[in-house]
Amino acid sequence: MTSEETKNSTPKKGLTRRDFIAAGLGGAALAAFGLYLWPQLSRPKWREQTFIGKAPDYRADITAVILSGFRELGISPAEIRGKRILLKPNLVETDLGAIHINTHPAVIYGAGQAFLKLGAAQVIVGEGPGHCRDTLMLLEESGLAAVLWADRIPFVDLNYETGYAIRNPGRYSSLTHLTFPETLRQVDWVVSLAKLKTHHWAGVTLSMKNLFGVMPGSYYGWPKNVLHHAGIEGSILDIVYALKPQLAIVDGIVGMEGDGPIMGTPKQAGVLVMGRNLPAVDATCARVMGIDPRRVEYLAKAEQFLGPIRETEIMQVGEAVAGVRSPFKLVDFIPAHRKLLPLI
Amino acid sequence: MCGGFALKPRGEYRPDATCWAILALLDDPASQRLVKQARARLAESQLPDGRVCLSPDHPEAYWPTALTVFAWHRSPEFQKNLALAVHFLITSSGKHWPRTADASVAHDTGIQGWSWIAGTHSWVEPTGLAMMALRIAGYGEHARVREGARLVLDRQLPHGGWNYGNTLVFGQELRPMPLSTGMALNALKNATPRETVQVSLDYLQKKVASLHTPQSLGWSLLGLGAWQARPVQAQQLLSECLHSQERYGGYDTSSLALMLLAGKLTGGLEDIVAGTPTP
Repeated sequence: MTSEETKNSTPKKGLTRRDFIAAGLGGAALAAFGLYLWPQLSRPKWREQTFIGKAPDYRADITAVILSGFRELGISPAEIRGKRILLKPNLVETDLGAIHINTHPAVIYGAGQAFLKLGAAQVIVGEGPGHCRDTLMLLEESGLAAVLWADRIPFVDLNYETGYAIRNPGRYSSLTHLTFPETLRQVDWVVSLAKLKTHHWAGVTLSMKNLFGVMPGSYYGWPKNVLHHAGIEGSILDIVYALKPQLAIVDGIVGMEGDGPIMGTPKQAGVLVMGRNLPAVDATCARVMGIDPRRVEYLAKAEQFLGPIRETEIMQVGEAVAGVRSPFKLVDFIPAHRKLLPLI
Repeated sequence: MCGGFALKPRGEYRPDATCWAILALLDDPASQRLVKQARARLAESQLPDGRVCLSPDHPEAYWPTALTVFAWHRSPEFQKNLALAVHFLITSSGKHWPRTADASVAHDTGIQGWSWIAGTHSWVEPTGLAMMALRIAGYGEHARVREGARLVLDRQLPHGGWNYGNTLVFGQELRPMPLSTGMALNALKNATPRETVQVSLDYLQKKVASLHTPQSLGWSLLGLGAWQARPVQAQQLLSECLHSQERYGGYDTSSLALMLLAGKLTGGLEDIVAGTPTP
């Protein structure tokens, strides 16, 4: 026997190096597959509703569209009667005449009226703008001041409210605690009244990202840089997880495409998107924008514990997504946008 | 603890509101007891390293410290507190890092300034406030103040004005804001030649007549005043702004104080310590 034959015919005792490596690789592959599968298997089975209502422009009867959404979502007078409602719009910056940056005053008014019609005890509008410390100026220049004044709707500047800190239950960011404004403890419902926009850091800004605005600037700075340093995606998840807002309404009548959230261009989508579950609402919004929500990092993570983003797990009421889809332009040199391509 | 001011009626003590109230009442003989109590309250709030935070459980929110330097200035009783606050300002800074060629923001991230909150980047307004505070405390020639001026100039928008502190992001120039512009102009008083800020003076002079809210109008008047560019209708604008309270409800303590100071200090905020307020 040649030495080679000897080697081949020798009964094996235990694993050879090759076997060991092969077994190791097999095990690693299995583990990797398991790691991939585990979140799919372990995540909750969701079933949430979102409503899409058409509104061609801001002269439409927005109150009626929102009331119709309430009916479809099962939000009844019995549920709202006597409740204190905080509407949290997206109020960032103003540019005279621009209607694509902030939640439009007509939508804020419409939402307020809809809640009052259902018997809400009080509707409050609250925001803590992230860039501009002069919130009153934003109210004036956005046209919101006139609406609030005409209807005697109170406004609270969340940036300057006394904060209350809680331990951060999510820990998806590096934040150990979250400091919320006192008003949040005094209301029964928090409604994220967001704008349908692209975002150059987060990909899209919808009802979840809008909640950065509840974090008081006095504790988080202008811009809310604490959240940026702690991780934008993780901070979005932490805030939604801790706050658990009751409703989201996204103003997509005129949204923003391109270099959002402030320097992009107007994009008419002609819709309001509503729902009780924020990831589901944002996933639907993303689809309206022509974006696969699974490509939005924080939405993909949210699916594990906050709500569904798959079409099969979102019961669509009102208009169908396909009927209102209107692809938003993305900017290919912005990394957060590149991740969202190709559009669906 | 007693003394100090809240931001709103029936609110809790806030160091920022307290500082602004002190500045507004400084020249009122009838308010000297209140001023003394308020200064003492600020002193009680000061941490051993000199910072004065928004609240004791938020030591990272140290931005009111610069305001306390104004509030304690010219008060022999609180000179130790003032020195500690100055020391804190000189030894603290916002996060900064070397600028990289592929950065998505255009400003120089490597310049050291001041942040609102510990552990975050340097921004225009806290840097401007810290510069002014150090200058009135006699540190105008300190390297940190000179670097602060470099930061503020670096954050000036190419077409004039300032915002919170980003200039271009992904190649797009952002919009200016009157409040930030007024504060930056005030901070750059005597720190840079006029031609380096002329484009911002032009922006603010055009914008100021349309301002009706106390923070933007107040800081705009102070900033323009620092460069002898205050509009002739300043008092009228302030009066109209004051009347807008009927619409918005009462202004908060800081806003009311700022408006009062903007009416009196025709050469910028630092005039308050130079003893040259005009009636």
